[in-house]
Amino acid sequence: MNYLLPERLDRLAREYALGTLHGGARRRFERVLREQPASMRALGAWQEHFAALAAAVPPLAPSAAVWNGLEQRLFTPVRRREGLVARLMALLSGRALGGALGGVLVGALLCVLLLRQQPAWLGHETYRDTLPASYVGLLQDGAGRPTLLASSRRHGRTLTVKLLQNVAVPAGSVAQLWALPRDGAAPFPVGAVPVTGSATLTLADTSEKLFANVGRLAVSIEPAPAAPGARPSGEFVLSGHCVKLW
Amino acid sequence: MTTASDPPHDLAQLLARVALQDRAAFEEVYRATSARLLGMAVGIVIRRDRAEDVLQETFMNIWYGAAGYNPAIASPMTWLINIVRNKAIDKLRKGKAERASTVELDDTAFNVAGDPASQPQHLLEDSLLRARINACMGELGGAQRQAIALAYYRGMVHTEIAEVLSAPLGTVKAWVRRGVDKLRGCLEAAGVHSA
Repeated sequence: MNYLLPERLDRLAREYALGTLHGGARRRFERVLREQPASMRALGAWQEHFAALAAAVPPLAPSAAVWNGLEQRLFTPVRRREGLVARLMALLSGRALGGALGGVLVGALLCVLLLRQQPAWLGHETYRDTLPASYVGLLQDGAGRPTLLASSRRHGRTLTVKLLQNVAVPAGSVAQLWALPRDGAAPFPVGAVPVTGSATLTLADTSEKLFANVGRLAVSIEPAPAAPGARPSGEFVLSGHCVKLW
Repeated sequence: MTTASDPPHDLAQLLARVALQDRAAFEEVYRATSARLLGMAVGIVIRRDRAEDVLQETFMNIWYGAAGYNPAIASPMTWLINIVRNKAIDKLRKGKAERASTVELDDTAFNVAGDPASQPQHLLEDSLLRARINACMGELGGAQRQAIALAYYRGMVHTEIAEVLSAPLGTVKAWVRRGVDKLRGCLEAAGVHSA
């Protein structure tokens, strides 16, 4: 469909702004909005018209729990985690190992340290002296901040992801995790990941089959979870090395 | 030129500070706008606890997404209203299948359709701006007005509006389209702009 025909664009923008555009059509138009500045301008005009109607809505003071929850979700836990990660990163990259050992090794060691502190992340409730053979990835955002930790047992069929800080994803979109093979072959989808907290994804096959030749993991923002064979529609917002932990 | 009952804050400037992760500015935006945004969310998801979830997610988005706000495209309040409406609409449509409160929604919707006293636009306060919006809504035919109100204030899609108003789908689409065009012309002529 040519979304840029003025009449069609105007109709879609009007229905999107009003809310009557729904389902797949709504998601497709959101993709157009990200890619076509003209569509954003058409939408902006309609949103301004409809926003006048919002003045008719009586305000309703939220309970204190909303703000308290925001403070907790946005500031308290993230800051504590970032502090821990930053200290470990500084220790690992600056003092103990020297500047040469960045990237993969720091990421992998950091994972080991974090996982040893938090064995429950891998489903081990009791302390073990050695970690099982696993694939792990530590994905960073554009500013280099550790953001997503992914881990999967070598022969397992699930992948555990843990967000170290929240990821901003527009309403109606998902954060999609991709595996990037070392040989330069096209990325393949692993699963949709949460924007905060943690989750366990079911894999299409065992980790060994899927990740043996994967060098990197990355996350892009997609209108819907990617189907097998799909390709990323935009640039990656997170990426990092995928390493074998044995 | 009129603007909707705006908080006296310079929201655009505050959002620019939020984009730099200024927590004080974030709190000011919250204090200035959260009640209006919660009002929007309650209209769509009905239940207050769900609406407060929507509000919290909205402000998560604002904290992480303020850098994406473009003053050339929308006024700050329009941008904020857009976020909360999209989130509320998503929650409404995602939760529809599992929701036990369908009856509650239908009751509310039928009230809107059947009882003029409880139409959303009846809730307008007696201010000049609201009177103008009210006048513009009043210029529409009753069915057009109800269809637009159900879509904008309740997050309903055409098929749902058709069911509530017991009208054919094609007719409802025409009511919405013509009503919205007429409303736009009237609001522009009255100099009504969003907040």
